[in-house]
Amino acid sequence: MKCGGYSDSASFLEKNRVGRLRHLRVAGAVCALLAAPNLCAQQSRPSEYQVKATYLYNFGKFVKWPATAPAGKSDSFAVCVLGQDPFGPILDATLAGEALDGKPVVLRRIPRPQDAMDCRILFISATEEKHLKEILTTLDEAGVLTVSDMPDFTRRGGIIQFIFEGEKIRFEINLANAESAKLVLSSELLKVAASVRKNGRSGD
Amino acid sequence: MRKSQDHSISRKLTWMNMLVSGAALLLACAAFIAYDKLTFRETMVRNLSTQAQIIGSNSVSALLFNDPQQAENTLSALMAAHNILSAAIYTPDGRLFASYLRDPGGQMPALPSMPSGQTEIHWLRNGEIVVVRSIVFHEKPTATVYIRSDVEELNQRLKRYAGIAGVVLSVCLGAALLVSSLFRKAVAQPIVQLAEVAGIVSRDKNYSVRAAPTRSGGELAILIDAFNEMLGQIQQSEGALRKAHDGLEQRVQERTAELEAAKKEVEAFSYSILRAKDELERASKFKDQFLSTMSHELRTPLNAVLGFSELLTEERYGSLNDRQQRYVKHIHTGGKHLLTLINDILDLSRIEAGRLQLTIATVPVPLCFAEVLDAMRPLAGRKFQTLSQQAGSRLNVRADATRFKQVLMNLIGNAIKFTPEGGRIGLAARQIGELVRVEVRDSGPGIPAEEQDRIFEAFYRLGETEKSVEGTGLGLTITRRLVELHGGQLGLESQLGSGSCFYFTLPSAEAVETQEVRKSGVELKTGESARILVVEDDGVAAQLLQSHLASAGYDVVLCSQPQSALEMAAELQPSAVTMDIVMRPVNGWELLSAFKIDPRTAKIPVILVTILDQPTTGAMLGADEYIMKPVNKATLLAAVERCVNHRGRIGRTPSILVVEDDIPTRELIAELLSRHGYVVSSAVDGEEARAQVAASLPELVILDLILPAVGGFELLAEWRGNSRTADLPVFVLTSKDLTPEEKDYIRTHAGVLFQKQEPWQEALLRQLQRILPPVVSETS
Repeated sequence: MKCGGYSDSASFLEKNRVGRLRHLRVAGAVCALLAAPNLCAQQSRPSEYQVKATYLYNFGKFVKWPATAPAGKSDSFAVCVLGQDPFGPILDATLAGEALDGKPVVLRRIPRPQDAMDCRILFISATEEKHLKEILTTLDEAGVLTVSDMPDFTRRGGIIQFIFEGEKIRFEINLANAESAKLVLSSELLKVAASVRKNGRSGD
Repeated sequence: MRKSQDHSISRKLTWMNMLVSGAALLLACAAFIAYDKLTFRETMVRNLSTQAQIIGSNSVSALLFNDPQQAENTLSALMAAHNILSAAIYTPDGRLFASYLRDPGGQMPALPSMPSGQTEIHWLRNGEIVVVRSIVFHEKPTATVYIRSDVEELNQRLKRYAGIAGVVLSVCLGAALLVSSLFRKAVAQPIVQLAEVAGIVSRDKNYSVRAAPTRSGGELAILIDAFNEMLGQIQQSEGALRKAHDGLEQRVQERTAELEAAKKEVEAFSYSILRAKDELERASKFKDQFLSTMSHELRTPLNAVLGFSELLTEERYGSLNDRQQRYVKHIHTGGKHLLTLINDILDLSRIEAGRLQLTIATVPVPLCFAEVLDAMRPLAGRKFQTLSQQAGSRLNVRADATRFKQVLMNLIGNAIKFTPEGGRIGLAARQIGELVRVEVRDSGPGIPAEEQDRIFEAFYRLGETEKSVEGTGLGLTITRRLVELHGGQLGLESQLGSGSCFYFTLPSAEAVETQEVRKSGVELKTGESARILVVEDDGVAAQLLQSHLASAGYDVVLCSQPQSALEMAAELQPSAVTMDIVMRPVNGWELLSAFKIDPRTAKIPVILVTILDQPTTGAMLGADEYIMKPVNKATLLAAVERCVNHRGRIGRTPSILVVEDDIPTRELIAELLSRHGYVVSSAVDGEEARAQVAASLPELVILDLILPAVGGFELLAEWRGNSRTADLPVFVLTSKDLTPEEKDYIRTHAGVLFQKQEPWQEALLRQLQRILPPVVSETS
């Protein structure tokens, strides 16, 4: 087993401490055995989708969904991925056993936008860029937090868009889009966003 | 004084006030400050905890979305709180996420581990408070906030409190001072004044002063009133006392005057008594002097009469015819009778005057009996009377030995006198309770009942008409007085025709085992006397020999074990040895032979004293003298004297100075001495004696005490004080009645004392020959 054993540990922030410390200890022991600390440091850096998966989950903590939303009636807190899934098993691992808003988090991979009506958070894969307008229209006022890493997502009607700031993964928020979806975003979330837009979708 | 009083009480009050208020204030301040410190610290911790919570909550999103910049922005808000030294946010896995330092350059400490189940810990160390709080977000521990704060604020606060406390304290103390000064006026001042008045009263005894009443009332006013009232009472009673005192003084003066008068009377009376006492003393002294002079004046001529009549009977200077011989004997007998009479009268008068002093000691009765019988035997022998004695061997009396013997001799003498020839006289003693009863029984004619009471009277003589019995008629009187002086009784049991029994009692004494060396027969010092060794294994016989020899002034050494006699003799080198023959384990013959063989003892004269009748054997074995038992004292002494004087002495003409103012006595002594081979010079008074001794030192001086001009005591003192004459042998020969002190003096300073009222001539010669053997020895 190599230090790469971290691949199944999607979150570097959210894992409970005990488990985290155990992994660190194991990793430290292996690194000591291999006498290659720099390698370990490189490998311990989370991959892009690990970070994104964690963020995806964390968004759920700063957003208030309207009581009328169809998702609110569900017994679970659904996180959905539309289009081709870039996370792979990382997202499953990240969400496994978690709960948000008092409900267990479930992950659903959906092929059509219509299936996303009862999702709380919907990650729209970059593969669906061509159908974005159609997707967003479908979900209008459905109370779904849309997240994507496709370019100009927020300008085109999306709520949160992952961006790169140097090597660091950050995100942009379009507050107007969130308001139109009847979602209330916490100021805390706004505080850490790379930028917050307040105009509606452009280019329509 | 006033000042110090003032000080003491008001100062005490002030101090009391200040102390009480100061202590109360201090306590209150201390308690308040302690409480405040505690609560303030708690508040600080609470504040810090709140701050940590706020920071944590505000940093959750930054943490969740990995935005340390954002977190640091949040932390930098702490700049507003000056007390916070540093703060930090840690990720749940302990990684430092963001930090804030008030003073740049500081270092963040490692995150302390949080005990499980606790969301917050805090501690106070080194003047810093640290709070660590774990932040839970959506039921998950999301961050750990660390805040470190100094307690400068607390210190500031405490300083401020101390300042306030100081101000309050000083204000309060000032107030206390003010209060106490008010008290001083109300309380101390009256007390001080009271003390002042009390001082005046006790110092000046002035009871008319009064303490000023106080306005304040209360106990103090009562005290002052009571004090004033007390003063009033004292003043009153003092006045009364003074009056009584004055009266008393007058009475005392009167009484003193009376006493004075009485005292004068008593003095006058006592003066007359003193005068009477003086007269009495003078009379008594005169009487003593008269007696003393009498004894001297009577005895001196009598001594001449006796001495010369005896010389005449010896017919040394021409023979006497029968008639002359008879007449001279009459003179001698009459003189002797007169001397006895004088001695008895003087004795009696001394007893009656209470001037006879007894030397009481423990006296063994059998020994005294033996001595007395020994002395009386010749007298009894003349009348063919038998003398016998019977006494327990351990019988002792408390008595003056000389006087005891005198009593015995008087009674036996009387018995011999009144018992016809061939009669029996018995001497007996026995113990009756604490007394010893001594009896002298004779087989004489007895005394008629009507005379029995009268015979103890002075000058009463039994059978007045009977001329054959001679005596002074004083013997029984003296005897009775002597017995009474010893605390005993003299009595008589007699029946006409069946003899008489005179008996007396004396207090008995415990037996004394130690053998006292008795030298009291003649009162003399035996420093230079000859030493005689008595070898005798029978205790009683040895004591008798010792008694005889000691009475003649010899230094006697007893040896009861014949086997050690030779060594003793060799060591002691005695002048002579007396030896018994029947002895164990060594008999006298063997011992005598041994003595003569041993060169150390061969030359010591040996006197055999034995019941065996073998003088020839004794002579052959080398004995010098042979004496048959029972021992006659005179025979023994004569034999010893011969032996002692035969020991080799170098011939030289010893000169003896006789100091005597009475011409006949002087001549008598000179005659006596020259007859025994001494060269005699004489002096008639003290001055002549002094001159002669100064011119040429004699070998011996015979000194009378009563001399014209310079007395014997004076001469003696002079000679003893001079080193040239300090060792000059002096014999004192006197007819003076001596006091015990005088006798003591003579014993210490002269050596030998002879008294003319006793037969002194033989004793004098014996002593003389012992000290100074004559050149030409004549038979005595």
